[in-house]
Amino acid sequence: MVDLKQLAYERKNIMAFLFIASFLKGAAMIGQALFFVWIADGVFLKNASFEEVLPYLYGLFGAILLRVACGYAIGRSGVNLAAEVKMDLRKKLIASFASNPLQASIQGQSGQKVSLLLDAVDELDGYFSKYIPQMVQSYIIPILLLAVIFSQHWVTGVIILITAPFIPVFMALVGIKTKEKADQQMEKLGQFSGTFLDVLQGLTTLKLFNQADRQKQTIQKSSLDFRDATMEVLKSAFLSSLMLEYISMLSMGIIALEIGLRLVVFDSLTFFTAFFVMILVPDFFNMLKDFGSAFHTGKGSTAAANRLSAHLEKETPAVEWGAGTLSNDPPHLLLQDLTFQYGESFKLGPINTEILPYSQFAIIGKSGSGKTTLLHAIAGLLPLSSGAVRVNGISREQIDEKSWFDQLSYISQSPYLFAGTIKENIAIGAGREAADDEIWEAAAKAGIGEMVGSLKHGLDTQIGEAGRGLSGGEKQRIALARAFLKQPSIVLFDEPTTGLDLQTEKILQQSIAELGKQATVITVAHRLHTIKQSDAILILSEGQLAAAGSHNDLLETYAPYGVMLEIQHGGIVQ
Amino acid sequence: MTELKQTLLLTLREKRDVALAIFFGFLAGIAGAALMASSGYLISKAALTSQMTILIVMGACLKLFGLVSALSRYAERLFSHRATFTMLSNLRVSFFEKLSPLAPGIFQKYRSGDLLARIVGDVENLQNFLLRVFYPPVVLAIVFISTIFFTSYFSFAIAMVVLVGMLLTIVAVPAIFAWRQRRIDSAVRASRAELSTEATEFLYGFRDLKIYQQLDRKKQDLTTFSERYGEQQRKEGFEENLGQSVNAFVALLASFFVLGLGAYFVAEGQLDGLYLAMLVMISLAVFENVAPMAVFPAHFEENRKAAARLDQVVSEPVQAAGDAELPLNTLDIKLENVSYTYPEEERQAIEGVSLRLAPGSKTAIVGPSGSGKSTLLQLLLNILPADSGTISIGGEPLAALDPEKLWQRMNVVLQENHFFFGTIRSNLLIANEAATDEEMEAALAKVQLGPFSLSSKVNEKGENLSGGEKQRLAIARAILRGESLWLLDEPVSSVDSVTAKAIYRQLFERGKDDTFVIISHDLTGLEQMDQIIVMERGRIVEAGPYEEIMEKQGHFFKLKQIEKSIFA
Repeated sequence: MVDLKQLAYERKNIMAFLFIASFLKGAAMIGQALFFVWIADGVFLKNASFEEVLPYLYGLFGAILLRVACGYAIGRSGVNLAAEVKMDLRKKLIASFASNPLQASIQGQSGQKVSLLLDAVDELDGYFSKYIPQMVQSYIIPILLLAVIFSQHWVTGVIILITAPFIPVFMALVGIKTKEKADQQMEKLGQFSGTFLDVLQGLTTLKLFNQADRQKQTIQKSSLDFRDATMEVLKSAFLSSLMLEYISMLSMGIIALEIGLRLVVFDSLTFFTAFFVMILVPDFFNMLKDFGSAFHTGKGSTAAANRLSAHLEKETPAVEWGAGTLSNDPPHLLLQDLTFQYGESFKLGPINTEILPYSQFAIIGKSGSGKTTLLHAIAGLLPLSSGAVRVNGISREQIDEKSWFDQLSYISQSPYLFAGTIKENIAIGAGREAADDEIWEAAAKAGIGEMVGSLKHGLDTQIGEAGRGLSGGEKQRIALARAFLKQPSIVLFDEPTTGLDLQTEKILQQSIAELGKQATVITVAHRLHTIKQSDAILILSEGQLAAAGSHNDLLETYAPYGVMLEIQHGGIVQ
Repeated sequence: MTELKQTLLLTLREKRDVALAIFFGFLAGIAGAALMASSGYLISKAALTSQMTILIVMGACLKLFGLVSALSRYAERLFSHRATFTMLSNLRVSFFEKLSPLAPGIFQKYRSGDLLARIVGDVENLQNFLLRVFYPPVVLAIVFISTIFFTSYFSFAIAMVVLVGMLLTIVAVPAIFAWRQRRIDSAVRASRAELSTEATEFLYGFRDLKIYQQLDRKKQDLTTFSERYGEQQRKEGFEENLGQSVNAFVALLASFFVLGLGAYFVAEGQLDGLYLAMLVMISLAVFENVAPMAVFPAHFEENRKAAARLDQVVSEPVQAAGDAELPLNTLDIKLENVSYTYPEEERQAIEGVSLRLAPGSKTAIVGPSGSGKSTLLQLLLNILPADSGTISIGGEPLAALDPEKLWQRMNVVLQENHFFFGTIRSNLLIANEAATDEEMEAALAKVQLGPFSLSSKVNEKGENLSGGEKQRLAIARAILRGESLWLLDEPVSSVDSVTAKAIYRQLFERGKDDTFVIISHDLTGLEQMDQIIVMERGRIVEAGPYEEIMEKQGHFFKLKQIEKSIFA
């Protein structure tokens, strides 16, 4: 659980500073009132000359300066507190993104995660920059003020002690009512507030059907309905402020009456005391009011804190690594009872199979059968739930991470290209500084050399985020160029299903054959020729190993395989 | 301020609520000041006399002013919020009116999907305009001016102190900070955008980064960007705090001078000491109200930018369009040497395409993703303007036609079809308002959605429908349109092949004489088409009837071979 209060108190220096500054601010407020009253009392009743009250004016100026300085320091500490907590949380989030091995499999949720990193963390700002400093001040200053009031005129203190508790009580009552109202209106609010976006999103459709003008009324109507529903909720929220103001007014009225009574009728109180108390009492209630509004700001952060907790608490075991090293020769791979389970829903394995050096290994199965997950597990991108991948007889967990990935290339259906030049995007494969010649050679082997050569800036052409400006086939070929530059001993390949042009299709076939001369190739296969040429084929069904063997073996021993092929030969369901 | 002129006009349209809000705001402020003033005066008076009447007047005044102040504050909040939300509604409608003529072309230009979310956010942002930008200085100015009038009755010099204090706190200080805000705001925005881009890259590229062992470096980069953003935010926070403190300081300083000057005048005998406490209390009370001005600079800057961005979106030139109507006879479509390049892209998306679609013909356009199929359809719809070459429909050049009249004659299904929050019925009626329930049910049956009830709920963006259901619903919409020219972009890509075939059969049976243009990357079931056009990289690489191009064993044949070999 992300405990916001605890996060604040962990920063002891800032919190200690806040307490001291709040105390000084309280003292300055009292000093300010004191000097005000001294001066007014001096010239009004004591007939002092201006020179006589001048020192008090200096004192007053000093008190004002101290009050503002403390206010500034408190605000600044709040901002610092918020900034530090936020940066810290972001660091934690980034670390959790980086260390979560499932990341590779759940790319779909990227948008949510970015929003977590940016929006959710920013939503916490108010809690630390506003609520915490206000809370500290509310701990100290009202008590200071109350103590001084008691020392001057205890009856006023008693009146405050009796009336002030009504404020939180009424606020809580109104708060509950507001929440009820809000819950009642929730559905309406959600529905109306979405209409504008809904209509904008559908504008193309509306235009094509000549319906755009009609939607103006829809927008207006739903906006006005939204207004009315919101006003219902706000009315009770405003009532809470009204309550607060009314109670403080009432309390001040009683105090003034009591003071007046003593002043006029009993003459038992001096003007000095009366005026002093009359300045301090509104300050006391203002502090409570400020706390009330800061409290609402702080409340708004709870939802964001919950979202962050939900993410940070999800722990996933890490992929383990050792210290062993790999040579450049393709290793002998053995999957022993390999299982991977995530949540309740999906279980892969146990799978047992052997992948020989320099072999062509294919994995086939329906979509959702776990093909890509198996490829990830072999690649060392996912932690195994049990079992092992043995590399040349030793467990992969005994091998050094760098040494393993140095021997691996992974060509996916949608390779990721980052914003940068084509050169940078290919060179990432080498993991070292690569000469232009090498990069051109790799590009040529991947069949993209000609295209790159035709560009105005050649290898230095910028490609946007996610390879914007390149076609799907060209992205695939850049990924191939990376592999050619890297010269790995294991190539993992997730075949594209559709949408490639003929040239890319041809190049993919050639390239895989070329890479296969130096490496073991493990393919999630969608194409018949890949399957037929494979040394071994593994058929997955709902995460389980259904059958394994060569094309001919399977034809003989596993009837469903023949059926699958037949369907393909005859074209898609006629 | 020019950017906000439009917003101001829309706000002022709600005359009654705005006026009431200002009135009650003024009343609340002035009653608060009166409350403090009367308590100051009465305490002073009480110190001098021992009349019971003073006590009674005192009690009555405090009660009255206190009650008026609290109730006015409540009324002020109600009216100002009401006006704000009404203004928001006006703002949405007025923005929609401006955006509508630009659609759908504008969505092609801004290909990023967040354009709409940004628009909605910016419009939402402007709701702060009344509450935080326009309204506080206006109310404060009125309260101050009344106070200055009142105090000038006692001492002109003190009234001047209040005036100077007012000018500083509600004009000078906010103006200076608003000016400083401009720089900070754009720096925060820029660093946020950087962090967002970097984080997206990190997450999308995770697998490749991991395998190429760039994850740690990238993580380092991401942390750096996150810290940079944090520092910018910290700076922004400091600035807001500084603004607040300066404002508070000026306000207290004003009260200080009121007291100092007052004390001097009393000592010199120019002012009755009886009023000193009252004047000090008034000053403390009115300057307490300036706190909202501290957040003015940030909101002003945010509103100004939001308004400017919205203006920018709708200030796009409206694509030049003719107003000619389509001839009523059947439509012959011709493309001659048409080319198109997307803005800010080097390569042509469509390159020298020539094509004829005879009335009543059935054409399929096939090719790999990114080959320009959909762009070609956008050109046919006149959503994108051809860079060169000509497109004509029924002998009229496309550019001379009124696009809305053109669309009126077509049954269009796009790749992305929007479904609105509502029911199946309300979504179908968009195509044809006059459609009866029977007609709609018949259309649903034709797309194999017979079991759907017309009154079933549809969520925003049709989120409760599957991809295939949405596609079929879009076809039903096109059927209800009932025109004779069909433009369909991947209409059944998420529908299983048996159902897809049945739907096509229905369409072709019903529209024997209609013209069909179907974009598809699925190569099956094209035997019945009159013409198949194969595109690759923006060009037509092969065209002809099914049998003919299969015999040629060219592009289409090879694509067909690949498709056959796919082991789904």
